[in-house]
Amino acid sequence: MRNKSHFLQNWQLFLESVYDRCVLSDKPFRLRELADPTSPPPIEPAFLERLRRRDSAALAEVVQEHARALFAGATALGFSRDQAEDLVQDVFVVFLQRMDSFEGRSQLRTWLFGILYRKAKEKRRITAVDDQTDLIESVLESRFDARGRWSHPPADLERLFLSKEIGTLISGCLEHLPFSQRQVFHLREIEGYNTTDICKILDLSVTHIGVLLYRARARLRECLESKGLVK
Amino acid sequence: MISCKDVSTLLMSERLHSQKWSKRWEVRLHMAMCRHCSRFARQLRQLSAAAKGIRVDHPDSDFEERLLDRLKK
Repeated sequence: MRNKSHFLQNWQLFLESVYDRCVLSDKPFRLRELADPTSPPPIEPAFLERLRRRDSAALAEVVQEHARALFAGATALGFSRDQAEDLVQDVFVVFLQRMDSFEGRSQLRTWLFGILYRKAKEKRRITAVDDQTDLIESVLESRFDARGRWSHPPADLERLFLSKEIGTLISGCLEHLPFSQRQVFHLREIEGYNTTDICKILDLSVTHIGVLLYRARARLRECLESKGLVK
Repeated sequence: MISCKDVSTLLMSERLHSQKWSKRWEVRLHMAMCRHCSRFARQLRQLSAAAKGIRVDHPDSDFEERLLDRLKK
């Protein structure tokens, strides 16, 4: 029975991908593309052992591989370059202190990002994860009628998305995002993490990550739309 | 029948892939009929693609070297 349901499930997924490929093609979008990417493999035990022995070559390898991404993660949260350098240093200090408690089940970068965000929150003295309610939700709500149909449909932003300044516009809009939404957006879109890994990094539930992603995207889209209409 | 509001929420919060297959087909069907929702979905995809290309800050070239020196102390 279990095998049968497994078979059906695979068959379903196959049909869905064929549909997306053939019927939807590129025009509207492919639902499959919105599926979570797979997690990168966990750290190799031999390398972990070298790190535990405080092997300096292994540490240098970790720094070379991850320090720049952590720096970019810190500046994306609005920290200055000097502050970001200090933060990354703090991350590696904690990393060396807690190396023995790292079980190696997750990827090293996931763990390092977890430390980075805890340190960043300490620095910014942010205690609550985020607000219970967010104004953006009522903004979005007002776009639909009582039956949930678009009363203010999304504007045509095709030319805006094709313009050369789109990157600068997004960066500008990102600055208005609350701390936790910026974190989640950076991890998802820039670092390319899946929601399961983002949950591990930020120690939040899948539902909570979903809410933060929803708010971040809604806010960015509204911000871009207002800029697109001005243009 | 699924509403436009539900579709947009599912897309933005990336909860679509964790829904039952019947729900996923409902979204596909809705998308085939509703031009506003397909435009909205396309914009979300364009936003993701454009976000990957935004300029991230890079530290100075000797950043790793200085960091390792400071860690050794």
